[in-house]
Amino acid sequence: MPDNCITIALSKGTLLNPTVGLLDACGLPSDGITSDSRNMIFTYEGDPRIKYLICRPSDVPAYVEHGAADLGIVGKDVIVEQGKDVFEMVDLDYGFCRFVVAIPSEMAGISLKDLNYKRVATKFPRVAEGFFRQHGLQVEVIKLHGNIELAPLMGLSDVIVDLVSSGRTLRENDLIELVSIMDSTTRLIGNRVSFRTKYDIMQPLLEKIQVLVKGE
Amino acid sequence: MRNREIPKGVRDLLPDEVKIRRDLEKKAIQLFSSFGYEEVITPTVEFLEVVEASGNIREKLFLFMDREGGILSLRPEMTVSIARMAATHMRDEILPRRLYYSSNVFRHVEPHLAQYREFWQMGIELLGAPGPWADAEVISLAVKTALDFGLKNLKVSLNQIGIFNSLLDESAIEPEEKTLIRNLVEKKDLVELTRRLEKQPIDDKLKDTIAKLPTLHGGLEVLNKLAYIEKNRAAVNAVKELMEVYAALKGMGVEEQILVDMGVLRGLDYYTGVVFEGFSPELGYGLLGGGRYDNLLSQFGFACPATGFALGMDRLTLVLKNQESKQVRYMVGGPNMAANVRKADELRNAGNIVELDVLSENQAVLQEKLAGNPNYILVYIDAE
Repeated sequence: MPDNCITIALSKGTLLNPTVGLLDACGLPSDGITSDSRNMIFTYEGDPRIKYLICRPSDVPAYVEHGAADLGIVGKDVIVEQGKDVFEMVDLDYGFCRFVVAIPSEMAGISLKDLNYKRVATKFPRVAEGFFRQHGLQVEVIKLHGNIELAPLMGLSDVIVDLVSSGRTLRENDLIELVSIMDSTTRLIGNRVSFRTKYDIMQPLLEKIQVLVKGE
Repeated sequence: MRNREIPKGVRDLLPDEVKIRRDLEKKAIQLFSSFGYEEVITPTVEFLEVVEASGNIREKLFLFMDREGGILSLRPEMTVSIARMAATHMRDEILPRRLYYSSNVFRHVEPHLAQYREFWQMGIELLGAPGPWADAEVISLAVKTALDFGLKNLKVSLNQIGIFNSLLDESAIEPEEKTLIRNLVEKKDLVELTRRLEKQPIDDKLKDTIAKLPTLHGGLEVLNKLAYIEKNRAAVNAVKELMEVYAALKGMGVEEQILVDMGVLRGLDYYTGVVFEGFSPELGYGLLGGGRYDNLLSQFGFACPATGFALGMDRLTLVLKNQESKQVRYMVGGPNMAANVRKADELRNAGNIVELDVLSENQAVLQEKLAGNPNYILVYIDAE
């Protein structure tokens, strides 16, 4: 890791466009960063102090924790699920979504405590387990990798814990929200050591981003 | 075949790594000793009750029961053990007492590069010495040790935990919220921290100061950015103490490596004064850390101020691996074993590392064996 250059890990997917907007607003280079680009590493001759790395959102905290990237831009949902030791610096306010417990509509009317010993399908086992444990409940968590809403339809699980933004997917699959676990937005995270060793580059950038976010 | 698996997070150390490690240890021991520090060894296991003097860290402990029904823990660090030991055996001694250790410690963490469940620490504890010069001695010794190891680009971040603690303590925040805020600061979750603070019934300037603390970093001028401080006497004193330690470090000639960093806020229940952490840009994790813990010994019935540090030997070895140069060694072979032994001894007496070819290989085979290793010098003694 050279001292005079910072590497920023960016999340592929829906967060990428607003992230590029943020980089532009900060006066950082952003040419060529698109989701369909085959490039995963971006450097700029005009600004050798900045390097980007584009990866799956769930990989961003790992790059940052280990110091392979100094900064990362990723959703809070990923950060809590991974539980990595990173410095959570700024709430960037975009990419809003919520963790919810959702149940099939025929279960409507039940309360949270009725879910004791039920099966919960989720992409986020740590969040799900932590939530139920906190409420004194024990559930069987079934980890899936996508299309969680399918699980109760097919009898794989009783309920689900998933991220929702508009709630459309839930409605289309005849699921209803029982409780909201937590809100999530995109965050700027940093490596604990980089923040100290590259303070001269990172601190002004941090302040600029803080001002930008507050101003809007 | 038997299982060759080893438990998660522990490692075998092979000769190359052990050699670097021992070299570092030797350097550290020499330096610590020259400052009057003496080695102590404490048990690998302690009662849980003892270990928990440093706060609630139960989920990071390896716990088990002895046959008398006591709950035991593998030691997760050395300072508490030494505090317990000093409170038992050193109450009547002339203070200050200078102690050092080199020990393996155990924590149930998620293992990854530079973080293991069994790892090695060397460190010192300066017992019975309050005041900035004691802090400065400990911090300067940490810097000197790392420099002696050949570590380049070392930076040591300095803070006084009292600045944060007194700001928080004297505010009108509910005790439960204070604990939450402390946790957020330790976790460095600025986002949630700001959110929590916004809901508090306190001065906006104070909110702003607490929220900014974790990111303030630089020379002494950082302290001028603490707008709210002058309203809080304890905080003013803490700032003054930090400046005194900085001045003392300057007097000791190590200010080049020192930064002031209000973000060094770890172990808030445990430390009481100046705290510090050492880093190198080559590794994304801290290499050393320590500080003043004036209340720990009194938990064992011996009110005694104390300060110290620990070096993460596994991490230092990792960073310093690339810097070591391999020592030359001899291989002595030939058909006449008696002559070989004589020659080998002769070379050893001259201070060399010498291996004897106990397999009695012929010259061509030996040459081929050593071809890939430039550190070997082959001495082949032909029959007379």
